[in-house]
Amino acid sequence: MNTSSHSSVLVVGGGMAGVTAAVESAELGREVFLLEKTPSLGGRVSGMRHYFPKLCPPYCGLEINYRRIKENPRITTLTSAEVTHIEGTAGDYKVTVKIAPRFVKENLCDPITPFAELDATVKDPFNYGMCNKKAVQVPHELAFPYAPVVDPTALNDATTKAAIESLPGVDLKQEPKEMTLKVGSIIWATGWAPYDAGKVSYLKYDQYPDVIANVEMERLAATNGPTGGKLVRPSDGRETKRVAFVQCAGSRDDNHLPYCSAVCCMASLKQATYVREAYEDAEVWVFYIDIRANRYESFYRRLQDDEKIHFVKGKPGNIEQDASTGDLIVLCEDGEGGSISRVAVDLVVLATGMVPETAVNKVPFDGLTYDEFGFLVADPQKAAIFPAGCVKRPQDVAASVQDATGTSLKATRS
Amino acid sequence: MSDPKVPIPELGDLVVQTGGDTLYKCMQCGLCVASCPWRLVEGEISEEFNVRKVQHMAQLGVEGYESDNVLFACTTCGLCKVRCPRTSNVIDNQRILRAMIAEAGSVPPVYRGVIASLRDNGNPWQGEREERMNWTAEIDVPKFDEDTEYLLYVCCTSCYDQRCTEIAQALVSVLKKAGVSFGIIGEEESCCGESIRKIGAEDTFQTLAAKNIELFNDRGVKKIITTSPHCLFTLRHEYAELGAEYDVVHYTQFLATLIEEGKIKIDKDLGKKVIFHDPCYLGRHNEVYEAPRQVLDAMPGIERVEMTRFEVESICCGGGGGRIWTETDPGARFGDIRIRDAMAKEADVVATACPYCTIMLDASNITEGKEDLAIKDIVEILDQLI
Repeated sequence: MNTSSHSSVLVVGGGMAGVTAAVESAELGREVFLLEKTPSLGGRVSGMRHYFPKLCPPYCGLEINYRRIKENPRITTLTSAEVTHIEGTAGDYKVTVKIAPRFVKENLCDPITPFAELDATVKDPFNYGMCNKKAVQVPHELAFPYAPVVDPTALNDATTKAAIESLPGVDLKQEPKEMTLKVGSIIWATGWAPYDAGKVSYLKYDQYPDVIANVEMERLAATNGPTGGKLVRPSDGRETKRVAFVQCAGSRDDNHLPYCSAVCCMASLKQATYVREAYEDAEVWVFYIDIRANRYESFYRRLQDDEKIHFVKGKPGNIEQDASTGDLIVLCEDGEGGSISRVAVDLVVLATGMVPETAVNKVPFDGLTYDEFGFLVADPQKAAIFPAGCVKRPQDVAASVQDATGTSLKATRS
Repeated sequence: MSDPKVPIPELGDLVVQTGGDTLYKCMQCGLCVASCPWRLVEGEISEEFNVRKVQHMAQLGVEGYESDNVLFACTTCGLCKVRCPRTSNVIDNQRILRAMIAEAGSVPPVYRGVIASLRDNGNPWQGEREERMNWTAEIDVPKFDEDTEYLLYVCCTSCYDQRCTEIAQALVSVLKKAGVSFGIIGEEESCCGESIRKIGAEDTFQTLAAKNIELFNDRGVKKIITTSPHCLFTLRHEYAELGAEYDVVHYTQFLATLIEEGKIKIDKDLGKKVIFHDPCYLGRHNEVYEAPRQVLDAMPGIERVEMTRFEVESICCGGGGGRIWTETDPGARFGDIRIRDAMAKEADVVATACPYCTIMLDASNITEGKEDLAIKDIVEILDQLI
């Protein structure tokens, strides 16, 4: 290795994979910069109600990791930060980073009270727009750093802007900052986005508010979600005692995402337990091509024993609303018997798949390899820029953690 | 209990070898069955016809096509094909299976007369070949010669079906007013063979196609305007596979261009609410969605609305895949759904761009519609305004 090379590691993406890669690399003795685009670490995991298969809340994994970050002086965390440019070679990268202003003074003793009186709200991206949040607040209760931020979309309106500006602690004069980091290797862990379920037109995601995506179901069930964890319909608040899960809503489909997104079967099975726990007489239908429970077959078997959970082998071809009852009618062939089922439910949850962030936002460095779907391919011959987590392939939280741990070994040894 | 079925493993392979090469891509997810327009109606066919099972039987080499409802119910509307997550060409696979049945001699009786008419007279409508140009009796239609730019290829349905001759006449009128260099060949033209091929009469199709290609090549045809989207499909895709090289457009595409270039001036006001029914073969099979809408939207005083299901999601009229020649029980006609939709949207006119659609929607309009709801081909509406 070049003697003038840098030993520090840059980790881009502060979700489960990035956080893991950062703490593992730091604990291997390297100086680490951990970059996150949004104002908080935690990524999509912090929006979950439960992990599968243990059905514990995301606090577990995240809080342990946040403590590891706090206790490790080798980690520098930069939120609201994006990489705009990378140049150099393995061992000697010069990385340009742009940091968006939070518009709130640093180190406020009280991050809540100064903004409590503010009325202005904006759509809450943490809740996938299912509800609004205050225009100035700590992003969510699991946020790290636990610090308030002004949502820049609120500043478009002059009255709101004035109201925000008058708050103590707010400083709208803050400017974006640019900085340069010199690092030896880079771990790219920018994660994934849910596939736009509206593109599977016959599933009517864009038409009926009670057809929701699986990520939204997590928020609906989460105690810190828009309904405080009460499972009710977004349209009219009716209890969701009959819920249909539509698997492969885009995944394993040549017209959409040809690959299997790996987590959606288990995610739906997990969410089926939310429904069954919420209401004693709740009934669940899972429409599937085949259930890919991977290492968690026992979880699947347990649900198969529940007579209130029905597994229907088939892809639904239409969803219509019954005007008189408000029920959603899911039309599907039961491939095991060949009969046509029209199931009336309160809520339809689409098991939408994973689109790698790199399908849209590539690494700003030429010559890297992506597969045909936009997943970043590790190619150590070309660069010491390593993918970790779902940017590499669709995977669940446990697999992402393992993958990020392995990747940090590669990054610290290149 | 039905008799146990003895599989013939070669059957699936034979389907693959003879053109159904995506048969084994099918993973039996059943999206085709749930997408099928037969799910929107009730009755015997709806209960019996299951496109996934048809594919599965072929994959396994299991027979069981005795009922015409198993294999001949499909209108080839193509919704399952465009949605198929494995991009299996369900339409081709079924066509090949039908061809196998046809070769074994068990074509449904209703199609035997159609095939005979095609063989003897080059059209499926039991008309004499000499009568093919009767629709031109009262009007002057230019003959195609070496100086003509476009061959106007008029669908047999518009030559022989009384109602549909009006569509061809209107198109001739519009093309003349626009000063287009076009012409027809005449009696020597034969049916394109689209629907008969879908029924499985492969030999009949091949004969018709060879005749037409020889005729067109002999006359120096380079560019073709079709009146029917079915002819468009066959001339553009299937004749190309047979080595023919024509630039084929549907008349709605051609008219949209003429309007854009300012060669058609629309001076009269329509003052009507028009709903467009996408023909399957114009939309899903040829991906033409914009042109018919452009032509309609160019008409002054039009209020255009969309069906509940339109463009790629459009519901078939029920006339494709040979079903134009079969009887479908009341209550099981897809056209009824379209008419009811048009009425719910309070349309004055259902516009379409395919002679089959016109026939099927006219029939449904009698039972489901109201007197003042008109079924019109786009070019008929246009001709009245210029």
